[in-house]
Amino acid sequence: MELYVAALGFGLISASVIAIAAVGFTMQFGITNMINLAYGEVMMVSGYAAFYVNQAGVNIWVAMIAGALAGAALSFVLNRFLYTPFQRKGTNLIGMVIISLAASLMIANLMLPLVGYDTSSYVIDQGQLLRWNGLVLTVAQIAIIVVAAILMLAVHGMLRYTRLGKAMRATAANPTLARNCGIPTQRVISVVWLITGALCGVAGVVAGMDSENFSVASGAGYLITIIAAAVLGGAGQPYGAMIGALIIGLVTELSAAAIAPEYKQVVAFAILVLVMVLRPQGMLAKRGALAAAG
Amino acid sequence: MNSYYAATLAVYAGVDIIACIALNLQFGVSGIVNFSFIVFQAAGAYTAAVLSMPPDSAYGGYQTYIGGLQLPFPIPWIGGAIVGGLLAIPVGLVVLRKLRPDYQAISLLVLSVIANSLITNARTFLNGAAGIAQVPGPFSNQVDPLAQSYQLLYVGLTLPCVLLVWAVASRIVNSPFGRSLRAMREHEVAATAIGKNPVQLKMTVFIVGGVIAGLSGAILVGYIAVWAPSVWLYPETIILFAAVIVGGRGNNVGAILGALLVPVGFEEATRMIPPTIGGWVPPPNLIPAMQWVAIGLLIIGFLWFRPEGVRPEPRRVFEGAPVREDSERVLKS
Repeated sequence: MELYVAALGFGLISASVIAIAAVGFTMQFGITNMINLAYGEVMMVSGYAAFYVNQAGVNIWVAMIAGALAGAALSFVLNRFLYTPFQRKGTNLIGMVIISLAASLMIANLMLPLVGYDTSSYVIDQGQLLRWNGLVLTVAQIAIIVVAAILMLAVHGMLRYTRLGKAMRATAANPTLARNCGIPTQRVISVVWLITGALCGVAGVVAGMDSENFSVASGAGYLITIIAAAVLGGAGQPYGAMIGALIIGLVTELSAAAIAPEYKQVVAFAILVLVMVLRPQGMLAKRGALAAAG
Repeated sequence: MNSYYAATLAVYAGVDIIACIALNLQFGVSGIVNFSFIVFQAAGAYTAAVLSMPPDSAYGGYQTYIGGLQLPFPIPWIGGAIVGGLLAIPVGLVVLRKLRPDYQAISLLVLSVIANSLITNARTFLNGAAGIAQVPGPFSNQVDPLAQSYQLLYVGLTLPCVLLVWAVASRIVNSPFGRSLRAMREHEVAATAIGKNPVQLKMTVFIVGGVIAGLSGAILVGYIAVWAPSVWLYPETIILFAAVIVGGRGNNVGAILGALLVPVGFEEATRMIPPTIGGWVPPPNLIPAMQWVAIGLLIIGFLWFRPEGVRPEPRRVFEGAPVREDSERVLKS
């Protein structure tokens, strides 16, 4: 029983990491209609940006800002110079997926000669070990959960209460109509890429903090978990992604305690398959993954 | 160039051509973005391996795997093809029925990554990350596999398979069934409206592609004698996509051309890079990494500048199709 309570704690941390990443991923999809398969690699670039700042002696929590900036800049560039030109050219959804996968491959392999194949890890002050009814967490781990909670609230506040958030929701619902109402959709989309890129960057850093070490190859694994959480919640739905992340995080960590840690991703995948068979539109979306009718 | 090198090149070209024709049937002709294509090739390879190998106890326990039936030649290849097709059934049923095309693509990508990690971690099933080694090739108990005659024999076994696959694929592309596939690719709703069942069409072509992919894996594993998770990581599928996009989507000649240009030609071209460039020795991992970058650039470049590929799909016109003036006259009268 003790083992499962401890696993619950790890599950909460995993869920926090996944939630930050999955909300960014799902917003890119929902608002800009782009399944960005390079997301995992952008996370790695941000993770390494923070790593080098951290190596230079800066506290990891400050270095996280460097990660966020790197993620925002790279996502903006990807959209501005790769995705938008192809979308304007009229490339279909499938073409865009192939392009983003090609971009992911290129980013990973441009990074490899620079950072190498070895695994890296941050210098973190884990802080005091806190125990509460069998839950064992360090101060740093609790801080990750707090960061995730703050970011989720910030995303919620932005989408719900700001003009920008309203413009984003309008663009997501119907870009043509939004443009006709005077919303500068291209600018909104650029801002979306900056914000989601920053989320992606923070996610890359906290993912590196959560795991003992990371390497360029970790990107693909992150992507799989993020896709699972986003699809489970209903792609394009930020709140769905939060719920999806919570479920995936808890279930994978509990299964790691019950079965074996190697099969974490397989469990995430099993959830994904179940969702696709039983409710392909996800928990929240009305249509989502389903083929457009008529 | 010695004959050993030539034979290796010929076998690899044959395997890549077969794989590209299969991917072209799925992606080029029918519009199914099968990002887990390499999984079907791997399924064929593993099947052929365990069907042709002796039980794992014969190797003194350094590798463990299921099967080990030691069956004679055509059976492992046929078995590989069958398993490739069988695997396509559950995958297709989950992925191809309801999902949007871009969702199908990411689901298949996820499947590819997960299948690889599953096989890597389940050590007793197919020997995990280390993979299976010392796979006996066809007739290797009768002809010495290291002899030159064996190389020729292997090319001789590969070539008929290439021709057979090409014949089958051409037949499919040019048949009424192929027309239905293209109609579905171009406009799924319209194809449904004239009575085509897109799920049935996609499932059929997915299974046919799986069979061909399985065969390509079986041929490859018999030749290289090893098969491990590291040779079927998901980027391998992207190379084949690059080949089909470069060659020309939707026509088999384009697929063959792509197979010769990208997986074969590309590998050979980078072999020509000298170990030192003007006294500068590139780090050992730089060139493979740059190869992948180049594959990405190739895909993006072709999709931007020439999405139809080197050899575009021929426009198909019907003999009896009404000419413009005719239809206008009909409308006026």
